[in-house]
Amino acid sequence: MPGRPATFGPLAAGVWRVLAIAQRHAYVLRRSPHRLFDVVVWPAVDVVLFGSIGIFAASRSGTGAQQVALYLLVGVVLWHVVYQAQIALATGFLEETWSRSLLSLMVTPLREWEYVLGVALFGLVKLVFGVGAVALIAWLAYAFKVTSVGFGLIPIAALLLAVGWAIALFVIGLVLRFGSGAEALAWGILFVVMPLSGTFYPVSALPGVLRPVAQLLPTTHAFAAGRALASGQPVPWGEFGMALGGTTAMLAAGIAFLVWMLRIFRARGFITRYS
Amino acid sequence: MLPPALVASQLVKAYRRGRAVDGVSLTVSRGERVGLLGPNGAGKTTTLLMCLGAVRPDAGTVEILGHRLPRERDRAMRGVGFAAGYLPLPDHMRVIEYLRMFGRLAGLRQPGLAAAAALERFGVAHLARAMGTELSSGQKTLVGIAKAVLHRPDLLVLDEPTASLDPDVALRVRTALCEISATDGTALLVTSHNMVEVERLCERVVFLSAGRVVADGTSAQITEDFGRDDLEEVFLHLAGVREGG
Repeated sequence: MPGRPATFGPLAAGVWRVLAIAQRHAYVLRRSPHRLFDVVVWPAVDVVLFGSIGIFAASRSGTGAQQVALYLLVGVVLWHVVYQAQIALATGFLEETWSRSLLSLMVTPLREWEYVLGVALFGLVKLVFGVGAVALIAWLAYAFKVTSVGFGLIPIAALLLAVGWAIALFVIGLVLRFGSGAEALAWGILFVVMPLSGTFYPVSALPGVLRPVAQLLPTTHAFAAGRALASGQPVPWGEFGMALGGTTAMLAAGIAFLVWMLRIFRARGFITRYS
Repeated sequence: MLPPALVASQLVKAYRRGRAVDGVSLTVSRGERVGLLGPNGAGKTTTLLMCLGAVRPDAGTVEILGHRLPRERDRAMRGVGFAAGYLPLPDHMRVIEYLRMFGRLAGLRQPGLAAAAALERFGVAHLARAMGTELSSGQKTLVGIAKAVLHRPDLLVLDEPTASLDPDVALRVRTALCEISATDGTALLVTSHNMVEVERLCERVVFLSAGRVVADGTSAQITEDFGRDDLEEVFLHLAGVREGG
């Protein structure tokens, strides 16, 4: 063999490590078509389901029902931002546990945040496809153009993206701590967050006991802001501010939780579950 | 003067069932080939995992190439290669893609070239385009070792590296590992249940039993110290002591 291979400096090496992880997950998606269910099929099912419910409601009653249809369509588009971001990151990590790659990855210069960034980066690609599929079907089947809501939807989508990642960090932390028993949370936790966040309806429609819980979730305020924009109201800065504050707090808590769980993972030797 | 490849001092690790590692100290010099042996439950894997930073010791310290873990883990890992016979290859990647990924993780500018050279070295260049699922267990092991050496590490840690290899392939692997050690000054830390392999590959042997180092020296010294004919007899003796409590 010739002399030692040339290496990048620390900064460039870090960038390449992030890209290497993103590419690894691109291979996984390309070669396991069933994973396209998360990216295309479920989004399509959701938009047809909620879009059709909305259209049915609109055809039965007056103007209030028209609003229901709009809420459902805006809700399903925005929901899939949270869903795709969360699923991509959480299942990306689960892929390492299923393929027992964790130990191999840990014995490289890869830093934890580089790994998360790499999976999240590829998750963005999946998100573009998933949310793109939802928006396209909503337009073709229900004549709902997501662009008609305006540019105000972009920061709201960005906040929901961050919430999705924050939830995924909690899920990864729980899988590190409790092993495969916590895997179901990768999908299941979203079905708790969705109704509590008032994804398709104002929080006032929730049972009274759940409303205070809903108010604590940043997603609740992001969806409320999205509905306000879709209804043609001015940017609801109050809701947006609460969503921003809540998202920041949730992301910080997610990172802190993951760091804590990683420490426990190393201290208790849980890597042996995957080797 | 360059720091040793590995300095582990007074490592302790306790699990619920008791102490898995109880004060193990281990130094591996640059270019040295060390075998870590011991019966099942002796603490070999836990010791290795602590040395690699994957498990945090309850007490004790680990330095790799002069970098203290866990604080300087990423810098330390730039100089470490690791393969284990029990670790599978990912299902959804071709061999060359898998190796290129690890080349990138190691910071190589041209991971494709390094991957091709590593596959060539272990006589499996023809597997480059194969999927991980298409390989035999022996081929997977060879690809795993190629992955571990492609960035030409200063410390190569191999856990049961030739467990699933035919004798001729195992010989080829041992020869290649000795060459790497001689030409690059790569230190080897190897665990194995194959005493013959350890005697041929390693110039020094560290025996663990019940989480402690019970012997450290050349295989000739150790067999003499224990009054046995070869390492296998020493191993059986230690396993018997352990079984008998």
